[in-house]
Order: sequence, then C-alpha cells, then structure tokens
Amino acid sequence: MALADFLISLVTFVAIYGLFGLGLNVKFGFTGLIDFGHVAYFMVGGYVTAVLTMPAQVTGYDGLGGYALPALFGAVPGGTLLGWLVGVAVGMLAAAFVSLLVGVPTLRLREDYLAITALGIATILNEVVLSEVWLFNGPFGIRSIHEPAAGAFPLGLGSFTVNLLVFGGLSVLAFAYATYRVARYVRAASGRRRALAVVVSLAFAAWYFVQPLLGAGNVVVTLQTNLTFLFDPNAGPNGGLDYDRFFMLLSLAFLAGGYWWSQRTINSPYGRVLRAVRDDEDVPRALGKETFRYKIQALLFGSALAGAAGALYTIHIGFISPDQFGAMITFFAFASVIIGGTANNAGVVVGTAVFWAINSGTQFLNDYFPSEYAVQLSASRLILIGIILIVILYYRPEGILGEQDYDITLPGDDAADADVAGPEAGSSDATAAPDTAEANGGGRDE
Amino acid sequence: MSDPMLEIRDLRKSFGGITALDGIDVTVDQGITGLIGPNGAGKTTFFNCISGYLEPDAGTVAFDGTDITGDRTPGIVREGLVRTFQIPRELADMTVRENLLLAPRGQSGEALTSAWFRGDQFATDERRTREEALEMAEFFELDHLLEEPASSLSGGQRKLLELARVLLTEPEMVLLDEPLAGVNPTLEAKILDRIHELQAQGLTFLFVEHDIELIMEHCDHVVVMHQGGKLTEGPPSEVRSDERVIDAYLGEEL
Repeated sequence: MALADFLISLVTFVAIYGLFGLGLNVKFGFTGLIDFGHVAYFMVGGYVTAVLTMPAQVTGYDGLGGYALPALFGAVPGGTLLGWLVGVAVGMLAAAFVSLLVGVPTLRLREDYLAITALGIATILNEVVLSEVWLFNGPFGIRSIHEPAAGAFPLGLGSFTVNLLVFGGLSVLAFAYATYRVARYVRAASGRRRALAVVVSLAFAAWYFVQPLLGAGNVVVTLQTNLTFLFDPNAGPNGGLDYDRFFMLLSLAFLAGGYWWSQRTINSPYGRVLRAVRDDEDVPRALGKETFRYKIQALLFGSALAGAAGALYTIHIGFISPDQFGAMITFFAFASVIIGGTANNAGVVVGTAVFWAINSGTQFLNDYFPSEYAVQLSASRLILIGIILIVILYYRPEGILGEQDYDITLPGDDAADADVAGPEAGSSDATAAPDTAEANGGGRDE
Repeated sequence: MSDPMLEIRDLRKSFGGITALDGIDVTVDQGITGLIGPNGAGKTTFFNCISGYLEPDAGTVAFDGTDITGDRTPGIVREGLVRTFQIPRELADMTVRENLLLAPRGQSGEALTSAWFRGDQFATDERRTREEALEMAEFFELDHLLEEPASSLSGGQRKLLELARVLLTEPEMVLLDEPLAGVNPTLEAKILDRIHELQAQGLTFLFVEHDIELIMEHCDHVVVMHQGGKLTEGPPSEVRSDERVIDAYLGEEL
C-alpha cells in the first residue's frame, strides 16, 4: 500500500475519532462529567444509521430493518445523500436518547461513581447488542453498510492530465497551506511549543517524504504519489478522486462541523454555566441555575456527536459487530483528550492525531523487524502511548495545548469585543499564566 | 411595617444523634437583622435549611408570603432569596469577569437553543450582563482584576466577589454568612455602606457576624441562637444587656 493511501486512511481515522473526542470533551472537558461509557453512544449512532440506510431483506441479516432511507429519498436529486444524512441525524438522536435514559438516574451521582456506573451501562448495552440477534444481528454484525454518494466515485474530470492537475494541485495546495500555518505558528510560539512544532513537522516530513526513498521502487513515482495524495492514478479510466479520498474529505467536513458546533456551544453564556458546573456545582446552583438540566444537555450533546462519529466509523470499516465497541475505545478517546488538552477542542483534534499517529503511523516500523515481532511491536505501541500519557500528566497536566480561551462575540461591537478578548488573548501562553497567578495569590493571602 | 420577609416556624434538623436545629422560630422583617451565637449554635445549618442546601426534618419556611420549605436552591434563588458561603466559593478556573457574568438573571443565552441560534435577544442580554457585571466590579473595586483567574484573589477579595455575585442575581433578601471576616477596615466600611444603601432601596439582609460592636451599630434587630434554638431576639440594645446572652455568648457585658 502506498504511503498516500495509508495517510488517507489515517486522516479519516483521526477525523472520526476526533469527532468522537469532541463529544467526550463536551462532557468531560467542559462539564466535568467523567463518562466512561462514551463508546455506547458511538455504537448506538453506528448501528442505528447502518440499519436505517441498509436495504431491506439483506441475506444473512436477521435483525431489525433495514429501512433503506437513501432509496426512499432517491426520487429527488441528491436524495440518496439526503437519505443518508437523515439516517445520521436519527442515529445522533438515538444516541442522545439513550444517553438521556442513562443520564437521568446516574447524573446525580458523584463524579467517580458516575464514571464506574457509565462504564457498567456501556458494557451492558454492548452485551445486549451481542446477545439479542433479533435486534442488530448479534455477533454476526452488519455487512451491508450504505456508502453515501458511492455511485459518483471514482470521480474523474476528463483526461489523465486534467485529473492530475486538479486533484494533484489541490493536494499540493493543502500541503502548502499546512506548511504556512505551521510556519506562522512556529514564528509566533516560543520555547518548548516552538520546539515541539518543529520536531513534529520534521518528523512528519521525514516519515512521509524521506522514509519512502529508502525503500525499493521508483523514487520519483513514490514522491509524486505522496505529494499528490488526493489523486489516485488507478481510480477510473483516467485516474481521479476515489471513494476513500472522498470519504476522508466527508469525515473532515463532519469534524469541522462538530468543531464549529461545539465551539458555538461553549463560547456562550450556556458554556459559561457548563464550566461553572465543572468547577463547583454548588455555585451556579446558588446563583439560580438548574445545574441538573445543564448536565443532562451536555451529556445529550456529547453523545449525539459520538453518534455521528459512529455513523462514519461503520462506513470506514465497512462492517460492524459488537466487539468493535469495547470499553477500550472510550479510553483511547480519554487518552487523546488528555494528551491534546482537556477543555480545548483544537487540543482534542491534536491529541487524537498524536494518538493515532503513534498507534497506526508506526506500523511501517514492522517492515524493519522480522515478522515474528509483530505482536510485541503492537504491544509496545500501547506502552509508548502509556508513557506519553504519564509524561504529559506529570509535566503538563493540562495537555499539549492547555485549556482553550473563551470569547463570546456579539454582532456589531468589535471595539467592545476587542476590549473583552484582548487581555485573554494576550495571556494565551498557558504555561506561564497559571504559575504567575498562583504566585500572586499566595503573596496576597499573607 | 409590612409583612415579614422570612417566617420560620419550628424548624428542626438533626444529623444522626446531633440535633443542629431544635424547633427554632424566627421572623425576619425588612431591614438588617443580625444573627449571632456561639460556634456550633446551628447558624450555618439554619442558613442551609432556608436556602435549600439541606432539607429540614420538620417545620416551615415562608419567604415573602410563599412557602419554600424543602424547595430546591435554584428555585429559591429565583424567588429572590440568596445566600453567600462562609468560606467563599469562587470558581477558581474562571476569570473574575466570568464569575460575575454568571450571576445576572434572565440571560437568554444560558439556554442551549439560544446559544446555538443566537437571536437578537442573545446579544442584548449579553451586553446588559456585561454592563451589570462591570458596574458591580467597579463598586467592589474588583475592576482591575477582571481578567485574573479567581484563584489568584486574596481572601478579602474573594469575599467581595462572592457578595458581588449574589447581588447580581437581583435578590430581595440576602443571607450573609460572615461577609466581613478577613476584609480590611476600609472595605468593611464600604461594604456596610453598600448594605445600608441597598437596604434603603428595599433589600432585606440577615447576617451572621461575630463582631458584636458591628452588629450593635448596623442592625435593626438581633436574633441570638444557642444550641439549635433561639435564645432571644430584639433590638440590639436590649439583647446586649440580656443576662442569658452574656452567659452564653458575650462572656461579659459590653
């Protein structure tokens, strides 16, 4: 497999798990709810969307449905895609609904009891799906996953040259933009952050552009394939955009949508109350806020995002069965959120990328070791992630990026906004700010 | 004199074998009422039972003619009865500004759908909230600290933040649990001035304070608690010469 294909798969994975992590961040990062059962909503979203979009009477499937929503909407132009989107929306609602059933009795528990109870409930839900064949086909799973807009792919725009120029050009633009952003970041940042950004970028460049040169094969072709990653020469008669590449873009669009939605929720008076609940629930209560309602809503919203991620996940894997939704998935997301920055949506995406880059991106190392070491290598990846987690928790418990800044922008008062946002933006170097603040506080107390 | 603001009848609360409130009757009229008593007299439990943090075992609490016995805290706050905590509970991870912005009532942006769709009301309310918070911060001399994390405030400043926050909820009556402990004399005078000013506008205060001189000077009425019950009540001058109060609390006549 070419490295470009691997990158496509990795980015798709990061986008899906990033969306899943954003949902967890709403609960854990901003509201302080330790939901160890987050994977349950991933599962519900995945299954419900799969069943709703699956054609009726599939051989080898004895569960509910399918309800063939894309075919139902097929009469209107773009209807199959719309049908799939409706399926995803219902999947998200179903995930939110299940979390409501879980949340009403459990959210009154203290945080550590909530964590354990949520873990138990997620395991029970998984067992139910596994045992009840009439529901979603039990251990045999679902093999017929609807792929939205699959008919349009591979997408070619004409001759081989046109396809190469358009999709290859877009790929180069994407790399150029990424380089520009990294350069800007490196110029603005200082100290350890700058060093980290440089090291990570160089490591990526070495992995993606230099490492393939060491292997066998045509160097020019390899480099060109890696650079123009959106262009697949084998897709269709003249090359073009294949389905995997389209699906990566679709997943990234979902991630961007989830990011925007979560940011809008957090940067509001509503988000302010959520963070107050996280810090000390008694305070917002003493100020007249119905904190229980806020906790339930945060749980529902976070679970709905997990449901959307589940719907994408089923398509990426192409097959679902209950054993894919073990508790490990929740803990992978917790690790990602903690590595990147709890209560930081950008940090969640960074943390997810770091996590999956280590977990999957180091698979090329297998080539350099005898095959009998494969099991040990896969275990050492998890060990490496564990070490990173411990190092981060020890030296930088707020994660790589730390807690994000908050700003509620109102239409039409830029001047006043700058006044509000100014000092916060100025102190965005999270490493220094809390330390100085604490030192000041200690001084004043005496 | 209008109807009593707060009317408490036969309030009881025990924790296991310990009786914290033993059938106390207290009536608080408009104005400033002081609540004094030795440590362990049940003052904080009394506050907790009134403000919905604890459910009383028996008895009734009526606020401004409405029965609020056993109601939950947020509802009681919306009725107009708020309390401060003896140990200030600032939201340490949030800035002073955000601590204040949390308090004003009637913020439409605190509803999830409003946060998502952001109609005109969203901006109007948030602007009003910011103005109110800024005014309150200026009054309590916290305006130069607005962008600091609340965890960096000194003990006295935390008291001010706590008071500023409850006043932003537009209460009719405020229960103050030792609001002046740890506040420097200049600020203490300023807080007391503010309390008198608000009282003149119709706000009612009930406050716990150990400085008897302060109580004598600033309260219209004093309630003395002892061992979960009411020892006596009356105008400050009467209370301070009461033999039982001297025995139980003051130790000597002032």
